[in-house]
Amino acid sequence: MPAHLVERQDRIVAVAGEGGDVLAEGAFATLDIAPRVGSIPRRIQFADGALFETTDNDAIDRLLRAQGRKRAGFVHDLERFHPRLLIFAAAVFLLSGLVYRFALPVLVEIAVAVTPPVVPKLMSAGTMETLDRSVLSKTDLDESRTAVIAEGFARIAAQSDRGAAGYTLNFRKGGLIGPNAFALPDGTLIVTDELVDLADGDTEMLVAILAHEIGHVELEHSLRQVYRAAGMAGLIMLIAGDVGDGVEDLLVQGGGLVALSYSRTAEAAADRYSVELMDKAGYDPLAIARFFEIVETKLGDTSGTTILSTHPGTPERRKAIAAYAAQLREDDTAN
Amino acid sequence: MSTVETAPQSASKEFHRLSFTGRAGEYFGIWIVNILLTIITLGIYSAWAKVRRNRYFYGNTVLLGRAFDYHAKGKQIFIGRLIVFGYLVVYNVLLAVFPIAGIVLAVVILFFFPWLIMRGLRFSARVTSYRNIRFDFVGKMGGAFVAFMAGPVIAVLSLGILMPLASRWMYRYIGNNLRYGGRPFATDPRLGYIYKTWLFSALIVILGLLVIGAVVIANLSLLMALADGTATVAPELQASLFLLGVVGYIAVFLSFGIAALFYRAGVRNIAWSATAFDGRHALRSDLPRMGYVWVAVSNVLVTIVTLGLMRPWAAVRMARYVNVHTAVRFDGDVGEIFASVAQEGSAVGAEFMDFEGFDFGF
Repeated sequence: MPAHLVERQDRIVAVAGEGGDVLAEGAFATLDIAPRVGSIPRRIQFADGALFETTDNDAIDRLLRAQGRKRAGFVHDLERFHPRLLIFAAAVFLLSGLVYRFALPVLVEIAVAVTPPVVPKLMSAGTMETLDRSVLSKTDLDESRTAVIAEGFARIAAQSDRGAAGYTLNFRKGGLIGPNAFALPDGTLIVTDELVDLADGDTEMLVAILAHEIGHVELEHSLRQVYRAAGMAGLIMLIAGDVGDGVEDLLVQGGGLVALSYSRTAEAAADRYSVELMDKAGYDPLAIARFFEIVETKLGDTSGTTILSTHPGTPERRKAIAAYAAQLREDDTAN
Repeated sequence: MSTVETAPQSASKEFHRLSFTGRAGEYFGIWIVNILLTIITLGIYSAWAKVRRNRYFYGNTVLLGRAFDYHAKGKQIFIGRLIVFGYLVVYNVLLAVFPIAGIVLAVVILFFFPWLIMRGLRFSARVTSYRNIRFDFVGKMGGAFVAFMAGPVIAVLSLGILMPLASRWMYRYIGNNLRYGGRPFATDPRLGYIYKTWLFSALIVILGLLVIGAVVIANLSLLMALADGTATVAPELQASLFLLGVVGYIAVFLSFGIAALFYRAGVRNIAWSATAFDGRHALRSDLPRMGYVWVAVSNVLVTIVTLGLMRPWAAVRMARYVNVHTAVRFDGDVGEIFASVAQEGSAVGAEFMDFEGFDFGF
C-alpha cells in the first residue's frame, strides 16, 4: 500500500498515504536497510517484519548519511555510470594479465604438489578409454617388431626416476591422428603404427621419441597443462562471476583442447630429457634429432617458431638438442 | 484468520508476463566493480559480488509491477565457500596420507554432492522473495542424487538417448519441492513432449556429424596419403589441413552447442508450462526456440569479440528475453491471493536464514 517514511524524534515511522496512520515504526538502529544496487527498489525492513519499499534511493542515502553512516553507498558510487569506469576496465585488463602471468603458475605448482597419485591414474584411464573408443584401433605391427621396440623402451625406462615399472608401452593404429606418440600422466605411453612405419626400422630413433614422452611424464607436463587449463577456466569464472553458459562451455571445451598440447618450453624440456636419458642408457643421445630431420624432409616442416604454434620449429629444436648434448659431454669430461 | 473467499471468476484469466527492467549501462558499472574488487581482494569479494549481481537481476525481474528480491548476505556465501574449500583440503590431505581412505572418501563424496546440491537449492530458494514472501525448498538428498547425479550419468551412458528422462527427473525434483509462502508448486512434464523436442536436437547433432563426415571423406585421399607417410605436404597445404581440423572442431562444437540450446529452451517451455502454484495458478514459458538460440549464440560471439566487455549487455539482453517469455495466470483476484498467502505463509524473516550459504547447484 502507498506509504511515506518520516522521521519523528529518534524513530523512523512509516505512515499510510500523506501523514495517515502509523503502519510501522522503529529506532533507526533496528532497521535493516538494504545496500543500494543500481536503481532497483530499496528495501527497509522493520523489526516486526514490515517492509517499506521505495525507488527514491537518493532520499534513503541522505537518511543514512544524516544518521552518521558515512560509507553508505560507497560501492554503489564506484559503480555509477561514469568515465571512471573506463579506468576500472583498463585496471581489470592489467590485473588479469598479472594474475595470468604470476598467480596462475603458482596455483598450478601448488595443485601439482598436492595431487594424490591416484588422480593422474584415473585421468589417464579415462583418456585411454576415450581414445581407444574414438580414434585408435588395434595395432597391425608384427610381434617381432614391437618386441624390439619394447626392449629398447625397457632399457631407457629403467634409467628414469620412476623406473621400468612406472611405464607401460602400448601400440595402436593411429587412424586420424597419424604418426604420433604421446604420454598420459600416469606413465601410459602410446605409439602409433604410422610412427613406427615412418621410422623405417630405426629403433633407436623410436626409443628416443619415447624418451621424450617419458620426459613429459617425469616433468609432469600434462598434469600441469590440465591444471593450467582448469585453473584458467576456474579463475575466469570466479573473477567474472557470470560469464554466461555459452562462454562457460567454451572455456571448458577449449580448456580440454589446450590440455592436449604442451607449451613450447615443455617440448624443449622433454627434448633435453630425451638426450639425457638416451645418453644414460648407452644410446646415441642425438637420436631424436634424426626424427626432426625426417619430419623436415617428409612432412616439409621447415617453419620457424611462431607465436601461434605450440611446438618449436623443428630446425630450431635440432640445433637446441645438439647444443645441449655438447654441453652434457663437456660436463662429463669436466667431472 | 483468513477465510477462504470465493474468487471472482472473471477477475484475471489472462497470463501476466514477467519483465526485466535492468539496463546494460547500469549493470556494466556493477559488473566491472565486482571484477575489480574480486581481483584486488584475491577472490574474497566474489561472494559479495555475487550478492550484488543477484540483487540487481532479481530486483529488476518484475511481475505485476513488483520486483523479486534476493536476500543473501556476502558473509553467508563466503562461509559456505570456505566450508567446501576446507572439505576439499581435508579430502586431499587424507588421500595423500592414507591412500586406502580414497575408497571410503569416494563414497562420502557420493553423499556429499547431493547434499550440497540440495542445500544449494534450498539456500537459493530461501533467499528469494516476492512481495515480502519467501520461497522455500523442501527437497531431500535422495532426490538430489537421482536428479543431479544418476540422471546425468544415465544420459551420458546412453549417448543422450535417456536425456529426456534425466531432464524430467531434474524438473520434477525442483518443481515439486519448491514452496512460496508455504504453498507448493507442482509439476509433471510429460516425457512424450520432452522426447519430441529432444528428437529435433538429435537431428541437429546428426546433421552436424554428417557434414563433418562429408568433409573428411572429401579429403580422405589426402589424409590417407599423409597417414602412410608417403605424401610430402607443402607448408601451405599443411596450414590448410590445420584449418580443416579447426573448422571440424568448431563444427562439432556448434552443432552440439546449438542442439543443446534448442533442447534447453524446449524443455524449459514444457516443464514450466506443466507447473502450477498452489494447485490452480498456472505457469507458462513460451520461449521461441529459434529466437533463444539466436540470442544465446550472438551473446557468446559479442562477448568474445569485445574481450568480455559486452558481457553485461549480453546478460541483460538474455534476462529480458527469458523474462518476457515467462508468465503466470492467477486463478482469482491477485490482491486476495497474495493477501492470503502472506497471512498463512512465512514472511521474510531471519529465522529461515542458514548460517552458511551454499550457492552451488544451479
